[in-house]
Amino acid sequence: MNAQLFLSQDGSQPMYRQIVERITTKVATREWVAGTALPSIRELAAANSVSVITVKRAYLELELAKVIVTQHGKGSFVGPSTDLPRQLMYGELRGYVAAALRCAAKLELSINDLKSMLDDQAAESRDETQQGNTE
Amino acid sequence: MTNAFRLTNVSKRYEHFAMEKINLCLPEGEIMGLIGVNGAGKSTLLRILAGLSLADSGEVQVLGLQLPADQVEIKRQIGLASEDMRLYGSQTLRWHMDFMAKVYGSWDEAYATKLLRRFDLNENQPVASFSHGQRVKGLLLLNFARRPRLLLLDEPTTGLDPVARAEVLDALSDVLLDGARSVLFSSHNAHDIERLADTITFIHGGRLIANLDTESYLSAWRRVLGHGTLADEVTDWPEVAQVRRSGATTEITFKSYGIALNERLAAQGFEIDAIYPMSLEEIFITTIRGAAQQ
Amino acid sequence: MKTQIELNVPVIRLLIAKDWKLFEKQLAAYVAAGIVALVLLGMAKKWTFYLGSLMLIVVLVAAACFAISSSLINERKQQTLAFVMSLPVSPLDFFLAKLLGNLATFGVPYLFLTLGTVAVILTTPIPDGLLVLSLLVLGHILLAYCISLSIAMAVESEGWNVFTMIGSMVLINPLIAAVNQMPSVANSLQGDIVVWSAWTVAILFAQVTLSLAVLVVTGWVHCRKKAFY
Repeated sequence: MNAQLFLSQDGSQPMYRQIVERITTKVATREWVAGTALPSIRELAAANSVSVITVKRAYLELELAKVIVTQHGKGSFVGPSTDLPRQLMYGELRGYVAAALRCAAKLELSINDLKSMLDDQAAESRDETQQGNTE
Repeated sequence: MTNAFRLTNVSKRYEHFAMEKINLCLPEGEIMGLIGVNGAGKSTLLRILAGLSLADSGEVQVLGLQLPADQVEIKRQIGLASEDMRLYGSQTLRWHMDFMAKVYGSWDEAYATKLLRRFDLNENQPVASFSHGQRVKGLLLLNFARRPRLLLLDEPTTGLDPVARAEVLDALSDVLLDGARSVLFSSHNAHDIERLADTITFIHGGRLIANLDTESYLSAWRRVLGHGTLADEVTDWPEVAQVRRSGATTEITFKSYGIALNERLAAQGFEIDAIYPMSLEEIFITTIRGAAQQ
Repeated sequence: MKTQIELNVPVIRLLIAKDWKLFEKQLAAYVAAGIVALVLLGMAKKWTFYLGSLMLIVVLVAAACFAISSSLINERKQQTLAFVMSLPVSPLDFFLAKLLGNLATFGVPYLFLTLGTVAVILTTPIPDGLLVLSLLVLGHILLAYCISLSIAMAVESEGWNVFTMIGSMVLINPLIAAVNQMPSVANSLQGDIVVWSAWTVAILFAQVTLSLAVLVVTGWVHCRKKAFY
């Protein structure tokens, strides 16, 4: 198994998040199937030139999201999860929210402005659905 | 867990510089980055750990052994590379490699050959004709190929071109594979340290300003831009590192940001426009400026 | 603190071999020049004698200064000292390595040329009476060398080091003048009998003991230093 994840260095995303996303993708695309042994924390750290603590944090997060399971003394394995697409999309949504925040900052909009925009948009979509239903 | 090193109340005074009561510890298997401006005391700290300089007071423990009493055994197990350390100009790198192989039983010739290729060095060239970058890489090779349990690297990337710097950082990450090996490396450039270091220590004027793991810095610090009324006492909040104003916009830098702060700011009549994460470089600069103003 | 003295002998030996290797070529040149000087001396003509003795002194002084510069002063100046001190050595190991290394790099040409001088004086037509004066001059060079070596080890300032080296070596002149005033030396200088007086023996004895004492004191001081780079 190759531990090289080709992490980006532009600083737009924390290293541990990148690791979480790359591994989630590998699992979602079945490159790494359920039960596959993951590289050890130190192997992954060395192959990507990131600190051990960063990889530990990523593995912990992957464990909490049930993407991987860690067996004490044996290492980590791809979990038997069936819910991966949802996990993936959740991560994608977080990206969109972050992008919306950045855009709002450029427009000098406050968080509250953004929230009301979100409410408006939600109301609009609701109306559209209702109209669709009446037709 | 054992420690790679432990400094207890270590002081060292020079005519124009003093390092007072330093307490610092590196657990085995970890990489620590030491960031400070020139003259902050990085080299002094490393020299004390390497046994090249004696502390005036305090206790210095390296790999569970005592300095200076056990210095020979300690020096056998650590590797020091610093900017002000030179090789013998009239001799080739090969001669130095053979010398190291004779001194240290742990010398790994196969790994040395691999590093020669990776660092793009000619072993039969006299060291005097090396460029600065080649000299640095040569010295690092001599240390890396011995696989010491603790590597002390004083500014290993300073003055290197980007390609050489990437090579050095890659070679350094080989150390990560072995859980019994530790590294302390100093730099005035936070960028080099950010990725590899488990913990980062800021040093300034001979004092330790902060010592945390990298992710903690990055998740604790935030830059908040906004407008509205803001009492001057905000500067004294323990969470605040710096407040700057420009026209209607105010920038607040938090060293321990939490979501609850949004409400406290709102209660003041301050409206948040944006919240930004910060790079380690920005955190370092803000910290040092804050320390300098005190 | 350990009270027992443990020496890292293998590394000491390597350091001596290293200093020898760095000195090798120059060493050969000094010995060659010394041989030329001895041949000139042995030809026993007035002009070759003066030229040879002058050359002999110059070669010995140069070898002394070069040995000290290359093993100590340059090591500090070219920042290779930190490299050496980062090797598994204690300050005592370092001191002994430098001392023994210097005894080799300077000692070899010194002993060779001293024995050569004695042999030339005793076997060629040169008056044998010259032996006492020659040995006192050689004794002085040894003492001056030991003092310069000590200063180089203890003092970082290059100015003081150069001053000590030149100063102590130049004192050869007044020594020769003073010894020549002594009746026992002056009277036997042209003769073929070697005459030792109480004074000349005492001077030679003092030169050798002082040389040793200086080295011991330097070792003691060196082991109490606080910085080694």
